[in-house]
Amino acid sequence: MRIISAPALLLACCAAIACGDFYSGYGWCLAAGALLALGGGYAIVHARLLDALGRWRFGWCGALPVGRGATASTLLLVTAAALLVSLAFATALLLGVSVSAPHRADLAYALAGIDLALVVGTAAAAGRAFRAGARVHHADGIRESLFALPWLNDPRLPHLLDWQRRATLVQWRRGGSFVMVGVVLAGVPDGPSLPMVVALVLLVLSWSWLAVAMRASADAAAAAVRLLGATPLDVECARMASLRYPAAAALCAVVSMIAGAILAGHGAIALAWAACAVAVSAWPLFCIFRATRRPEGPA
Amino acid sequence: MTTLLHATDLRVAYGDACVLDGIDLEIARGEFVALIGPNGAGKTTLLHAIAGTAPLCGGNVDIAGYDLAKAPRAAKQAIGLAIDPPGLPVLLTGRECLALFAGARGLPAIPPAALALGETLSLTSVLDRRIDSYSLGMRQKLGIMLGLIGEPPMLLLDEPFNGLDPRSALAFKTHLDALIRQGDTSVLLATHSLDIAERHATRVVLLMDGRVRRSWDAAELAAMREQPERSLETAMAEASGA
Repeated sequence: MRIISAPALLLACCAAIACGDFYSGYGWCLAAGALLALGGGYAIVHARLLDALGRWRFGWCGALPVGRGATASTLLLVTAAALLVSLAFATALLLGVSVSAPHRADLAYALAGIDLALVVGTAAAAGRAFRAGARVHHADGIRESLFALPWLNDPRLPHLLDWQRRATLVQWRRGGSFVMVGVVLAGVPDGPSLPMVVALVLLVLSWSWLAVAMRASADAAAAAVRLLGATPLDVECARMASLRYPAAAALCAVVSMIAGAILAGHGAIALAWAACAVAVSAWPLFCIFRATRRPEGPA
Repeated sequence: MTTLLHATDLRVAYGDACVLDGIDLEIARGEFVALIGPNGAGKTTLLHAIAGTAPLCGGNVDIAGYDLAKAPRAAKQAIGLAIDPPGLPVLLTGRECLALFAGARGLPAIPPAALALGETLSLTSVLDRRIDSYSLGMRQKLGIMLGLIGEPPMLLLDEPFNGLDPRSALAFKTHLDALIRQGDTSVLLATHSLDIAERHATRVVLLMDGRVRRSWDAAELAAMREQPERSLETAMAEASGA
């Protein structure tokens, strides 16, 4: 579900934008939709291909007598198949959306723009991922944050915060949560003035980063609880320690979103939207509560 | 000797497969019990059932006088389970991981004894490196240190000598022997190394198909050591019906 939902949501956003009339002119909408399809296609394919290449070359199957050419051609075949599915899905969506769209006469342009953007984005991602070659195992990038936050660490469960932070960094540098870009673009109406562009960037980056931070933090917290399962860990303490980093991340994201909302000049609506964005992104926190509610002993 | 671990009628099943089928086990303070048996006999599951990390279908575990189901924190304070190398958090350094475990045990910092064990196992020089750069042996040593942190009286070790170089393996065996001699610590070791079981254990338990098939006490093990024609290997084969 997690594999399919992000690309599907992204393509739905592309179709909605490309057929809509949000940005004072159809040309802007088409450009935004195509740009989103290009970037989204790139981010999704690049992250998955790097992951697959890493597994093929350095995972358990790396020792199997499978040639690099065979690996590359198999992955290219899978990528091409995924691209075809994406194109079919995007085309079906565009056809569906265009029934009630204000510019349905220009459907051909929308089809060409989105489909071409998907092909270019996928091809660029595949080219870059394959060029990475032997360096693919370093794809996780630098895992150290720019600055330390020792005061934020819970002394009762030290370095859990560092674990969550590094997991967030790894996820972010692998492609983050690009699907949020589409949701934001689809949600902001009207003219692309400079403050609006800056506001969009702030909103998109904040929400995207927050979604990654929440997901990675929840996963790291669940892994920590499993790891410490045989210790006399205080569950309440674990829960509070697990929530420190997501709470700090949410605070930073909200500040950035408020700045974006003020710049966008849509005050109350934008703030309400930001609140909704945070609420939606924060759902993995419930996973933290679930993970830290492990049974106290054998059932 | 006082009883440290008392497990009765332990039952664990994964789906329809019954892995532990009514295990009774009692370990006294200062005892070194080796758990042997073929693959799939339930050795690892038994260790996890005692540690509270495997769901029980039935039975009861009592550690240092505390019921694991009713007072899990008090019971777990008395046990130390060595962590499997694949389960270690690769995004942390060895020292950060030790600090995390120390915190989970309610300790203010990494105890000097844990750092001394790291020195004994020649791991000190890499403690500030990320775990993802560790070799299998280094991960095994760190897993052992995490199990022994805070000096819990009941140590649960699952094949801890896998991947250890001979020098470190000897150092760890010596360390375990010293702990046993002091009389406060007990060890439950799951292993396929029959020579370790024969030489170091005070009791050996053979597990087969989720049940205790046979056990050998200290006197029987001493007799095996003195008579070259008798060995745990042949005794195990006989008990297994091979």
